[in-house]
Amino acid sequence: MTPGAGAPGGPRATAAAVARDSRDGFASGRLAAPGGRGAAVRRQAGMAARGAAPFAVLVAAWAAASAARLVPELFLPAPAAVAGVAWTMAVDGSLWVNILASLGRLLVGIVVSVPLAVGLGVLVGLNRPLARVLEPVAGFFNALSGIAWLPLAVTWLGLGWASVTFIMANTIFFLVFFNTLVGVRTVPRIFEQAVRTMGGRRRHVILQVLVPGAMPSIVTGIRMSIGFGWRALIAAEMIATSTGLGFLIFNASNFHQTDTIVAGIATIGVLWLLTDRLVLQPLERRTIERWGLVSSS
Amino acid sequence: MLRWETAAAWTVLLAGGLAAWSVAAATLPVPDYFLPPPSAVLAALGDLLAKGILPTYVTASLARMLTAALTALVVGVPVGLLLGMSRRVADFAYPLLNFFQSVSGIAWLPLMLVWFGFGERTIVAAVNYTVIFPVVFNALLGVRSVPRLYVDALRTLGASRWRIIRDVVLPGALPSIATGMRLGLAYGWRALIAAEMLVGAHGLGFMIFSAQSFHLTARIMLGMAVIGVLWLLLDYFVLRPVEQATISRWGLVQR
Repeated sequence: MTPGAGAPGGPRATAAAVARDSRDGFASGRLAAPGGRGAAVRRQAGMAARGAAPFAVLVAAWAAASAARLVPELFLPAPAAVAGVAWTMAVDGSLWVNILASLGRLLVGIVVSVPLAVGLGVLVGLNRPLARVLEPVAGFFNALSGIAWLPLAVTWLGLGWASVTFIMANTIFFLVFFNTLVGVRTVPRIFEQAVRTMGGRRRHVILQVLVPGAMPSIVTGIRMSIGFGWRALIAAEMIATSTGLGFLIFNASNFHQTDTIVAGIATIGVLWLLTDRLVLQPLERRTIERWGLVSSS
Repeated sequence: MLRWETAAAWTVLLAGGLAAWSVAAATLPVPDYFLPPPSAVLAALGDLLAKGILPTYVTASLARMLTAALTALVVGVPVGLLLGMSRRVADFAYPLLNFFQSVSGIAWLPLMLVWFGFGERTIVAAVNYTVIFPVVFNALLGVRSVPRLYVDALRTLGASRWRIIRDVVLPGALPSIATGMRLGLAYGWRALIAAEMLVGAHGLGFMIFSAQSFHLTARIMLGMAVIGVLWLLLDYFVLRPVEQATISRWGLVQR
């Protein structure tokens, strides 16, 4: 079974990563092509251009639709209006304040929850009977994680920063904990026994078998948790605070400022793509290459 | 697979948890609404069942989910497959789909509120959006991940284009489609709860959110339990079996 298959979304991240690689292989075969550093840079530039072109077409179509007045300005403002609002917010600083508020909460959630979840996950995973008992419990809280906690969080912590951070930390913790647990539990016992047979101590088993073996699952869990966490954050910000990108767009909708809303949505999307491309994908690729079970070939 | 020791351990854990919760609720120096005892949650269950509120809200939420799931199956899967058929189209659509699937439906909610107003249409639109994009995206990825070799092999044997689609492309894409459905619905369920809170029509999200304003904490906890259990049932009995079945039947266990 794929590590982490139990979490919502299951092995998607891994499957998608595999699929992505095969897609590139299928589409162009370029990933496998030999070449020096220069070639790699050129390849990346080419890929970036290919990735940007569809967006250029989309924006052009959008501009044409607005110019032709296919939809009322109030419903879908022109790209120029959206860019204008984004520029104004960037100059007066409000855009950055909201971006920092959202990213800051995400970061706090990660820093608080990931180490705790991985540590506890490994600890519980070591004890197989305990892991069997706690896995469905973790699965339940996993299914519940995210925005459903908000009313309770507001009751306990009031509206504001603490509630939103609680939602984030909660979402990230349970997804990572669950995936760590499943990852440790599904490391084939034969590896553990091999190390034991050769005189390895418990410490060797943990550090050299279980943790590395669970690594792909842990990283998949981290990636998914940040995806779910980011979505929960946007929703929580709409309800419980007065800063952050979620608040920015929800507040704008009260005043029918659709240009601000679209600028905010675009910012949310771009921030996620950047996080995914620059942090999560490299992390995942590296762990799967290094520790993933690619031994069947 | 369920061992009786595990089942016994769950019972003990559940009983212990409930006991600890009751004791904490009775002894902690906090207002009642902060931590109602389990018995209050049970009472809320009886109350809401008797008034018929809970069945109505559960039905409303599940109906919205079902609409989104059917839309994704009927519209999303064919669109993803079609886009994936051609390399050029797939290369063009991939970054766009990746962008739109990563912006959650909840982020579009403010815009949809302007478009459709506070009501059912906004909730359905936001949930449909959230579910359909991962499905289209993963269907496209699934088609593209079918090894060229298999397509060529069939073509060499003289298969028609339709034969190739039916016997290679579709089965090859199925595991990815199943994963896409599962991810899309997992995101969609959460988006639904959030949308129901924000838009404020009926539904489980609305139930727990409106309970907060009246400090009906037992009702919140009941709603959370229902949300968690419903998702677990859906996941364990529908989504995961389908995913496992497609992966073991058609998954590309490349050697």
